[in-house]
Amino acid sequence: MLTKTHAVDGTAIKRAIEGRDGKMLSGFYADDATVRVIDRNNPPSKPREIRGRAAISIFWDDICSRAMTHKVDATVAEGDSLAFTQACAYPDGTKVFCASMLELKDGRIARQTVVQAWDE
Amino acid sequence: MVGDQKSSGQAEQLVRPIETRYAVSGEVRIAYQVVGQGSLDLVFIPGFISNLDLHWEDEGYTRLLKRLSAFSRLILFDKRGTGLSDRVDIHHLPSLETRMDDVRAVMDATGSGRAALLGASEGAPMAMLFAATYPERTRALALYGGYAHFHKWVMPPERLEAFIETAETGWGTGATLPNFAPGRVDDPHFSTWWARFERQSASPTAAAALARMNAEIDVRGVLAAISAPTLLIHRRNDVRVDPDASRFLARNIPNARLAEIPGRDHPIWTGDVDRVADLIEEFLTGECAVTEAERVLAALLVTRIYDTARLGDRMWSERSQRFQETWRTLVGRHGGRCVDMHGEMMISRFDGPGRALRCAAALREAAQQIGVASAQGAHVGEIEARGPPAGLTGRVTMHLATHAGRGDILASRLVADLAAGSGLHFADAGRISIDELDEPMALVRAMSEQHLEPACRPKAKATEPACLTARESEVVNLIAAGKSNAAIAAELRLSEHTVKRHVANILLKLDLPSRAAAAAFSVRHTGLDGP
Repeated sequence: MLTKTHAVDGTAIKRAIEGRDGKMLSGFYADDATVRVIDRNNPPSKPREIRGRAAISIFWDDICSRAMTHKVDATVAEGDSLAFTQACAYPDGTKVFCASMLELKDGRIARQTVVQAWDE
Repeated sequence: MVGDQKSSGQAEQLVRPIETRYAVSGEVRIAYQVVGQGSLDLVFIPGFISNLDLHWEDEGYTRLLKRLSAFSRLILFDKRGTGLSDRVDIHHLPSLETRMDDVRAVMDATGSGRAALLGASEGAPMAMLFAATYPERTRALALYGGYAHFHKWVMPPERLEAFIETAETGWGTGATLPNFAPGRVDDPHFSTWWARFERQSASPTAAAALARMNAEIDVRGVLAAISAPTLLIHRRNDVRVDPDASRFLARNIPNARLAEIPGRDHPIWTGDVDRVADLIEEFLTGECAVTEAERVLAALLVTRIYDTARLGDRMWSERSQRFQETWRTLVGRHGGRCVDMHGEMMISRFDGPGRALRCAAALREAAQQIGVASAQGAHVGEIEARGPPAGLTGRVTMHLATHAGRGDILASRLVADLAAGSGLHFADAGRISIDELDEPMALVRAMSEQHLEPACRPKAKATEPACLTARESEVVNLIAAGKSNAAIAAELRLSEHTVKRHVANILLKLDLPSRAAAAAFSVRHTGLDGP
């Protein structure tokens, strides 16, 4: 089995994101999970939606292929909800800040909403 | 999508300019820009010449870049020797390999470990070479109007020298435009931009050297080594690169698919840009860009100019060109977007009818000043969100413009209803039967606040100086003395706007095409004391 199911908690997410480990990240998601991204080009009324673990794996592979730094700053867990913030920087100095809200189901991510803002 | 409907010029003023940075490749600095926030990196490798700043000043280029950056992190750069990147020694031009390595340098600088590459025209062989050299860094390959061998598919050696001579001697004048986009040769705005694009992308000597260098391109040997999924796009009647070039690539790149699309103009940012962007987006994201028939509510304005018979062909051609330039400026200034042009029929669209009508009034004034007859139609309705308005709303608006008399702004009653409270004034203008509509359509005539023109043209033969008011006579005398509106305004202690109004009224009353004609009239009809 290529993708192992990892227990999802703040520490595991921090390790996977900061280590740019796309495979590990993909393993956190349920097969029918959805990731919604809200940013300048994808406003709240029309967010970008990535459906299913296969598409989510491509999404994380693309992001983790970037030679950039990620720092997960704060994680808050409550029941089946998990939230964290993430500060990222590209080598040319461009900064990105993301806030993520996760809904867990049976220990895996069923739904994630990412709100991100970029230096432009 | 709403933002896309605004004119690119106005949109650019509202957003911060794109930041240009420099990557170091060997000892050369390569200018690049990053735009967009997508999870996928997309590197755009331009063709023959480019200039990162100028791209954002062309409507088609801006549209292409906005479409691509809506789903990706789009990385743009000028190849060494072109645009904003360092110049190179034209006696020791870099090889295709060196230039390809600039892609790697830019990717490193932007932290892009793996990217999809979009190679357009000469950018395509560079992208192919990169994909074959760095398969682990190539996520996918989209090649537009590309080729593997210059002489076979772009230009045989015997035609190359003639092209280089044209490029070298006429560089910076837009002389190369017919070789790339013959469909845009009659578009004065684009021709002017193209000439600047030439000047600011490369010097004449560098351009000739680049052309010679491109003529050496032959990457047929690397095609089998490309493993990335590849999409080939080629316009069926591409004037610059034979479509057989992409058919050859489709047969020889292992994982390639070819999309042949209609069109003749070669640059990727001309012609049906949306069609190209749709194909690329679908290929890279696996999702259709936008549902085909997305319709939006818009106010359309059709501006018709005429008077060829009266002015003669040469003068007409000069004035209609001047008017078209003014049309673009004024439409942009009023927050609209120039969407189509059929001969002397110009179509623009606006978010609301008030803006369309204010623009119409400004265009009417401009037409008077330039000395051409104008007639305009305005209507509100649903149109396709993208492309020229081909549907019913467009046809109705064109019909109104055709029906409108000299200087008229005819609008549907609906326009007047929606513009209530805008301060615009309308007069009833009867009804018109249009084949496609069940009932005759109620019309209004838009009267601008200043009442620049009388609603009806005076029937009498209005060429007698006596019909001018005292003030107008003063103005016409000063015109004959060669004074500008500003000078006349200062002399008569009037606002420049009022002088403009007087000038427009004088031309109208005397049925004259221009200030020069008014000056001549004044001299003919007056003694030294004036009319």
